[in-house]
This record gives sequence, C-alpha cells and structure tokens, in this order.
Amino acid sequence: MPIPILEVKNLRVHYLTRFGTKVQAVDDVSFKLNEGEILGIAGESGCGKTTLVSGCMGLYIPPLYHSSGDVRVLGESILGMNRERHRKEVLGRKIAMIPQGALNSLNPTRRIKDLATDMLTSHDGGAGKREISERLTERFERIGLDAKRVLQAFPVELPAGTKQRVVIGISTLLNPKVVIADEPTSALDVSTQKSVIRLLFDLMDRGIIASMVFITHELPLLRHVSSSIAVMYAGELVEHGSTEQVIFDGRQPYTRALMGSMLSADPGQRGRKPVAIEGAPPDLKHAISGCRFAERCPSVQGDCAQTRQLLRLVGERHVRCNHAS
Amino acid sequence: MLQNHPTLKHVFGRAGWYFITFLVAITINFFLPRLGDSSPVDLIMARAGSNLDAATAREQEETYLLEFGLVQTDPSGKILRDSAGKPLRTSLLAQFGRYLELSLRGDLGTSILQYPRRVGDIISAALPWTLALQLPTIVLGWIVGNLLGALAAYRGGVIDRVLYPIALLTSAVPAFCVGILLVYVFGIQLEWLPAVGGYDEGMLPEASWSFIASASYYYVLPFTSIFVIVVGHQAIGMRSMCIYELGTDYVKYAKLLGMNERRIVLYMFRNAMLPQLTGLALALGAMVGGALVAEMIFSYPGLGMAILTAIQGNDYPLITGCTLLITATVLVANFAVDILIGLLDPRIRSGRPSAGPTGGDTSQPGAATGADAPLMAVR
Amino acid sequence: MFRGLWRSVGFLFGCALFFGTLLLALLAPAFMTLDVGRRVGLAYMPPSREHWLGTDHLGLDMLSLLVLGLRSSLYVGLLAGSVATVVGTLIGVYGGYKGGLLDDVLTVLTNLFLVIPTLIVLILLSGSLEEGRSLTLIALLIGSTTWTWSARAVRAQSSSLRARDHVALARINGYGTLHIVLLHILPYLLSYIFMVFILQTASGILTEASISMLGLGPYDSISLGTILNEAIRNEALGDGAWWAFVPATVLVTVIAFSLYIINTAMESVFNPRLRK
Repeated sequence: MPIPILEVKNLRVHYLTRFGTKVQAVDDVSFKLNEGEILGIAGESGCGKTTLVSGCMGLYIPPLYHSSGDVRVLGESILGMNRERHRKEVLGRKIAMIPQGALNSLNPTRRIKDLATDMLTSHDGGAGKREISERLTERFERIGLDAKRVLQAFPVELPAGTKQRVVIGISTLLNPKVVIADEPTSALDVSTQKSVIRLLFDLMDRGIIASMVFITHELPLLRHVSSSIAVMYAGELVEHGSTEQVIFDGRQPYTRALMGSMLSADPGQRGRKPVAIEGAPPDLKHAISGCRFAERCPSVQGDCAQTRQLLRLVGERHVRCNHAS
Repeated sequence: MLQNHPTLKHVFGRAGWYFITFLVAITINFFLPRLGDSSPVDLIMARAGSNLDAATAREQEETYLLEFGLVQTDPSGKILRDSAGKPLRTSLLAQFGRYLELSLRGDLGTSILQYPRRVGDIISAALPWTLALQLPTIVLGWIVGNLLGALAAYRGGVIDRVLYPIALLTSAVPAFCVGILLVYVFGIQLEWLPAVGGYDEGMLPEASWSFIASASYYYVLPFTSIFVIVVGHQAIGMRSMCIYELGTDYVKYAKLLGMNERRIVLYMFRNAMLPQLTGLALALGAMVGGALVAEMIFSYPGLGMAILTAIQGNDYPLITGCTLLITATVLVANFAVDILIGLLDPRIRSGRPSAGPTGGDTSQPGAATGADAPLMAVR
Repeated sequence: MFRGLWRSVGFLFGCALFFGTLLLALLAPAFMTLDVGRRVGLAYMPPSREHWLGTDHLGLDMLSLLVLGLRSSLYVGLLAGSVATVVGTLIGVYGGYKGGLLDDVLTVLTNLFLVIPTLIVLILLSGSLEEGRSLTLIALLIGSTTWTWSARAVRAQSSSLRARDHVALARINGYGTLHIVLLHILPYLLSYIFMVFILQTASGILTEASISMLGLGPYDSISLGTILNEAIRNEALGDGAWWAFVPATVLVTVIAFSLYIINTAMESVFNPRLRK
C-alpha cells in the first residue's frame, strides 16, 4: 500500500475562550488521503470545519492549541516541527489552503502581482524578479485569467469570481501536495461556483495539485466533487465513506438529517419536503460523554446521551452511532 | 480625461472640497467676531474710553473704524461723513467683500495693540517659532507613537502590559497640564532647563550658532510637553488598529500561505497606518489648538503667544489674522494628508470606504480613532 | 454583555475615580464652608491647618476655589457633553437611517466643520460674546461646536444598522420611521452613544479649561481653567506656589483620565474585535 499523501491520526484541537474555558473544537478526527483523491468534509457552520483546517496545516496560533494526535504529509509528521521549517517547507508547498472568504483574503493595499511575489519569495529567496514575473504570468494564464491585467490590479478592482481564481492561483503557486479548500464556492453565485470547481479539477488533472480536501456545508454539492465524504458534527467525524454511500445511504442519523434538510432539484424529489434539523449543536465548553447529536436526533434511544459513541465499521463505512446498522 | 485618471480626479475633487471649506472658514472668521451687539471698535473703546477726553476718543475711534473698514471712504482714503459730521458706516456685506478681497491678497490689516505694525508682519515673526515647535513634534510623535503602538499590538505580552497603561495615561492628560507640571518641576524647582521663552533674553533672533544653541536649549520643555501626548495618543490608536488588522482574513491567509513573519508585519503596519493617517489629518487642527495653549504656558514666541496677547488686548485684527492663518494651515495639512492617503490606499481611489475599525460603515461599535477624536479636540 | 463590564478592571477603576471626584464636588459643600468672597490671608500663603491648600494671589482660600472650580468644570463638561451627544445623535441617526438629500447636506456640513479647528471657532465666538459669557453659555458653545464628532460616529453606526435584517423586517411590516428608530435602532446604539457621551464630556471639560486658560473663560464662575489662568497670569509658577496650580492640574487630569479609561474599557468589552 502506498504512503498516503495526508494522514490525520486521532487529531484533537482545542481553543481557549477569553475567560480561559477550554473548548474542544476538533475531537479525535482521523482520515487518509491518497494521490488523486478528493475528500469532502461536510457539516453545519460552527462544527469545527475551519478549526480542523488550521489543525491539519499545523498552524496553531493562540488561542488555538494542539491537544493530541498527529498529522503526516507523505509519512512525515508536520506537528512539532521547527516553526521556520514548517513555514517554509510545509505551508504552501506541501499543504496549501483556499480560504472561505476570498473576498477579504487578499491584502487590499497590495497589487496581485506583489502579493503573489511575496508568496514566492517567502519560500524561496533566490528567485530573480524577471523569473518570478514570467512564472506568475504563465500560471495565471493557465488558470484562465487575463494575467497582464489581473496581476497589475488591486483586489478591490476585481470581481468576486476573479478574486477567487486569484486566490486559487496564489495558493497553488508552489504545486502543493494537498489543497484544503474551505468553502471555496459558498460566497459565489451558481455559475461562478461551477467554473471555480472546474478550475480545481483542472488543476488536479494537470498534476499541479496531487489531492484535495473540499470542505462545505452543502452535502449534496460533494456528490459532484469528491471521491469520499466525511460528515462532521460538533467537532467529531460522525460518518466517513464513499460519496455514494454517504449521500444515498447514510447510516448515521445526522448524515441522513443533513441530506433531508437540503433542497434538491433531482427529479422525483418534487413532493418531498425538506426537513429542518431542530435545535442547535451542543455547547462544547462542557465535556460531553455520550452522543453529541442525541438531543436533536430523531431516532434517539434511552442510552444515547450517556454512552460514548465509537466510530465503527457499518456496511463498509465508518459510522459513529451505536445504533446504526 | 479625468475619468481615466482616478488619482487626478481624486486630487481635483479634494481640492474643490477644501476650497469650499476655506470659504466657509473665512466667512466664519469674519462674522463670528461681529456676532455680538457691540462691534470690536466699541469693545476697544469701552476699555480705553474712560480716561480719554472726547476729542482724542473720537479721533481714535475713527482710526479704528477706518482700520476695520467700518466707514465709507473716498478714493483718497478720507472718511466720508454725513451732514452732522458723523462718519458714514459701511454695510456688513460691503465690509465682508472688502475683507475677502484683502485677505485673499494676503493683507490682514493693522494691529491695534502694536499699532502701526501690520498683522502680517507680527504673524510672520511668530509663525517660524510655531512651525519649528509643532511640525517636528507632531510628525515625530506620530511616527514614534505608531511604532510603539504596532510593537505593543504585535509583540503583546510584557511590552504591551507596560506600554499600554502608560500610553493611556499620557494620552488622557491635557496638553497644558503636562506643560504646567514640566515648567514647574524642571524649569523652576530643579532649574535644569529654562522654563519660559524661546531663546536667551539677551539675544536677538539671528542665524548664529550661539543663538541656535540657545533656542534648542529652550526647545526641550515645550517639545516634550507636546511630544509625550502625541506619542501616547498615536500609540493607543495604532495599537487597536494593529490588533484589528492582525485579526483580518488577509493576515490569516498570509500566514496560511507560509509568508514570512516580516512581510506579515509590514502588511499589518502599512494597512493600520492608513486609518492612522486619516486620524492624523482630522486631529491636526485639534492638535494645533492644544499646542497653542502649550505655547502660552511656555511663553513661547509663536502664534499661541500672539493670540493670547491679542485676546488680552482685544486686538481683533490680530486675533482674526491668526485664526485665519491657523485654519488655512490646518486645511492645507488636511488636504496634503488626503492626497497622500489617496495615493497609498487603492480603496479610497476607487471610491470605496476602506475597511478597518474606523472605515465607513463597519458594524462594530467603538470605532477606535473615530470615537477618540473628541478628546483630541483640545490637544 | 454588561456582565463583562463588571469584570473589567479598567472600567471599575475609571468609575471609582470619576465618581470620587463627582462626590467630592457634590458633597464637599456639606462638610465645609466654601468661602471665596473675602481674603483670608496674604497672597500665596502655603497650605496650613486652617487653609489646607493655602491661598491664591488675592489671598482667597484655595480649597474653596478648587471645589467651586471642580463643580463648574463638571457642570460644563456634562452640559457640553449632553448637547454634543444629543445633537450629534439626532443628526447621526437621522442621516444614517434616512439617507437622502438632507443626509447628504448634513454630512457635508459635518465634514466641513470637522476640519475647522474647534478651539479657533470658540476663540472667535467667545471674543464677540464678552458681555454675556456665562458658564452655561460657554458649555452650550462647546457643545454646539463639538457635535460633529458624535454625528459622524453615530451616523456610521446607524447606517450599518439600517442594513440589518431586523430593521429591514420592521420596514417591510410598515412601521413608521419614529417607531423603527426608537425600537430598532436606538437600543442597539445605546452603549455606543454612551461612549460618545463620555468622550464628549471629557472633551468639554478640557475645552473649557483650554479657553479659560486663554483668558476667554466665564465671567460669572470659577472653573478649574480660570484657576489655572489666574495662577499663571499671577506668577504662581515663578513664585513656586504649587498649591495654586498643581491641585487644579491634577483634578483636570484625573477627570479626563478616568473618563478616558471608562471609554477604553467599554470599547474592549463591546467590541471583541479590538480585544487581544
């Protein structure tokens, strides 16, 4: 079996609130990602998706802390590495991320060209100005941008879709092994969404990026995007399997609820009413021993709220529900 | 043509705006002193009048009336009189017209207290002192304050815990209080430094080394009194601005890209600086006001002293001359800062409000510099 | 939300300082006779058992002067602060919520008066009003020149509230402007307006002190500014009569500083983005 590109092992991440309360935002998350794979991670907002991204990248800035577990890229742990080495060799080069709000992710007072140059020179001081400029033009053209114009522009002068492309371009400048895309399309309108997703596929086909983690709150979107899906709830992965399995045959009640709450344009779904998930996710400031979804679960049973739920194999996928079958 | 040059368009737009502001300022400058029932001349006469005989009083009153343009004159400058021999008064509007014309030509009239010195001459003797005191102090204080503020925000920890309360205190102390205490402690009790004046009394202003040495010696206390406050205020503003910038998406993204620390600090510094520039522009006028009071305390031979003596002697031409000049200077400085920001911040050029805690329509309460601003009104 | 305030050391400290001076101003007359109508000794007599803070250049009791001065200064500050806050809030809320032509005009006016130095306007005004320059009039003048800051700050806030869902909903439901402003805009601005009021009060006290220092103070009252003005004009500095100016200086500083840290503390509680 080949070494996976990204391997996350029992990762736990917490942060401290202003008054010192510990919040376990990511709890015992594990997954593997091989070359050419796209893993989709779905969950409501506030379920710890964004914290998971920082955790996977090994970027722990207070008040965010690593509690336990490991993250390996090509077999090498990236946690506990020398900070400067981590910055230069891991960030942007091994793992890159495409942020949620591309609208605000570009320094507003810097030209795109300078931003991209900053990114390159931060990793490799030796490159000449000319060389960098050529490299940028070539790359921006490849991702379908009018390189000459875009590179000279300030972020405010560009429309949202173009900005998102620029962000993708800058994030992937160093041909990273894994790209973590955190809701890359949720701020865009539908047609731009599609072209951005197509661009990501294209980058993978050309071998610029080797694998991808695609994070979204829209579970059905992943059907067209990912090869496997992990569903996240209150800091935990509650179901992890192939795309087909999770979307059409979810075994964890939350996964099913998530699918049920989505509107769909599929034929035959016309008469089906979307079902909202009542209630809110639990407050992670307090330790929870039992099932975190118990309060909102439609098929909750007597012992759920007290019994620890383990991730176990059910029908060839991992499910965190003691009653799932 | 302007459509294709956003920068040029911005400059012209601002220039027009400041010209209108100047017109309003000059109107205020003319009408406010004439608001009360008594004209300046009546006030002066009321002060001096009691111990003058009637003939001298009338003669003097007419000199003042002429000086203020309150009476109509023939082309040779003689006062026109009605049948009873009383001088013919000019209408307020005509006075205003004459005032506008003269002011725009740079003629600010004649001082009453120091008759027959021209107001322009008095001001040009005082102005270099004020500029030499305030310009370096404010600019230097601004730079040092911003560096300290950025340092406190970025480093945090002990540096922040020490710097922040100190800055908070110095920024809250009124300028004249610092001045009074400095004069008393260092000038009078310890006698380390001269307490009042701009140079040694035995000297005359000239371009000699000994004079410059004397002037720099006298410079220390007034400089310190203004500097301390400007530093404190700027440090506080810059600190919150930097904390805000450090929490923005673009800083997080830069970190995730693996950009080096130095570059991220530069990003933060530059972007936090832009609102600080606006703050500086808005605070300039206020600072000038406060620094004038400081000048008074140190009997520094600048505009502050000139205004003080003019106020004490009801020397209206001199008061309005000084206020007009100060207002004009503040407007020019504001204009310069506006243009500078336009050049540095692409968001302003493209007509969008810049982000940040003070920027246009941000939703959080407590816009850092915006809300602090009233307190600066007396600095 | 307000619970955070009571956990804030800065807020408590500031309040203690400010209410301390306020109590001093209010209660001192009950415990001592304020006598500034007659000479109680020679000029610049140092502090003694009878006169805790000595005498001024006329031989008046300094402590009495100081208490009266403190009362006037607080009065000016609170009145000027209220005027500036109320006027600024009215204009700011109206402009921010309503928009339109009147808002444009008001914004232009606000920005215009923002760049013309307040102190200059006050100097010009005070000069022409020499006859009737009472403490109240000075406070009103200060308030009417400093409202621009409040208007600008409040306008930005209310125009951002305008875009919020609950306001849009109220508008769609057909509620009138007054109803929306009173029930859906003002409550959200209250803490902010209060902060503006605190700063405007501090600013009013300092501004009064500044123009009094210039000799343009009230003719009918003693304020901390006029005490300082008299002390400096009458050589207290040179004579080493520290009791004639140090207590007044310290009081002005303490009031300004206390209000300032109250504001800073509130800002960091209400505005989490400015928190470290």
